[in-house]
Amino acid sequence: MRNRAHLPARSWTYELSSHANDAEMRRASDWLDATCRAKHVPNEQAERLLLCLSEVLTNVIQHGGTTQPIALCLEVSIDRREASVTVSDASRAFDPLSMPRRTKPQSLAEASTNGMGLQIVRRCSDILHYRHEGGRNHLTFGMRWKAQ
Amino acid sequence: MSTIRYDDVGQDLRRIMISGQLDKPGADAIATQLLELADGPRKAVVVDLSGVRFLASVGIGALIASAKRVTGRGGKMALVVDARSTVRMSLEATGVDQLIPVFAGISEAEKAALA
Repeated sequence: MRNRAHLPARSWTYELSSHANDAEMRRASDWLDATCRAKHVPNEQAERLLLCLSEVLTNVIQHGGTTQPIALCLEVSIDRREASVTVSDASRAFDPLSMPRRTKPQSLAEASTNGMGLQIVRRCSDILHYRHEGGRNHLTFGMRWKAQ
Repeated sequence: MSTIRYDDVGQDLRRIMISGQLDKPGADAIATQLLELADGPRKAVVVDLSGVRFLASVGIGALIASAKRVTGRGGKMALVVDARSTVRMSLEATGVDQLIPVFAGISEAEKAALA
């Protein structure tokens, strides 16, 4: 019998509607949650994937441009020790990982109530990279765990 | 989705319990009520996040805004968060765990908010 840990990852895709909004974000999140459960992704890593997905989709929808559909698509890849999500969109080329890292506020008074999403994605991801290919942005984040 | 409820304990302490997932839709659903509950009049406010599955930046923004309301009227706010949870990771990533005291247990949080 082959060791499943060495089998190639399988992937699944989900396309968001052209009118991506909070309800559509929640549907995408529910789809990822169900996919992680079905493929036995550990709870901790599944929660981190859902958290990162929320941050990335919020960012893309807020900043991806509203003049034309941005054709958001998720591709999830899972194997025995790793799960990753690639969020792709057709908005203008933009690498969020090129943005300078924010410094943490030193007091409650100077703390901003927004702009913290990328800090969370950087902290929670074991895998994080960006590429622009075929006229689309592709941001991949992922988690690893020890195979049982 | 997300839910929010509260208990007032005596004249000084308000416990706010939030559950569900605080992604953008979940945080938007409770943000206004959280701010209203933080407005007092009780000076000590404990926000129990032990029933929250994960906490996105929009939810952290709502906590910061609420903590500013509480401290602005001379009170203290503390959070209850499971020590090894994804919620704790979000607070640490943004440095908010250094701005709003975080505890693993409700009794410790209440003591800190009432001190």
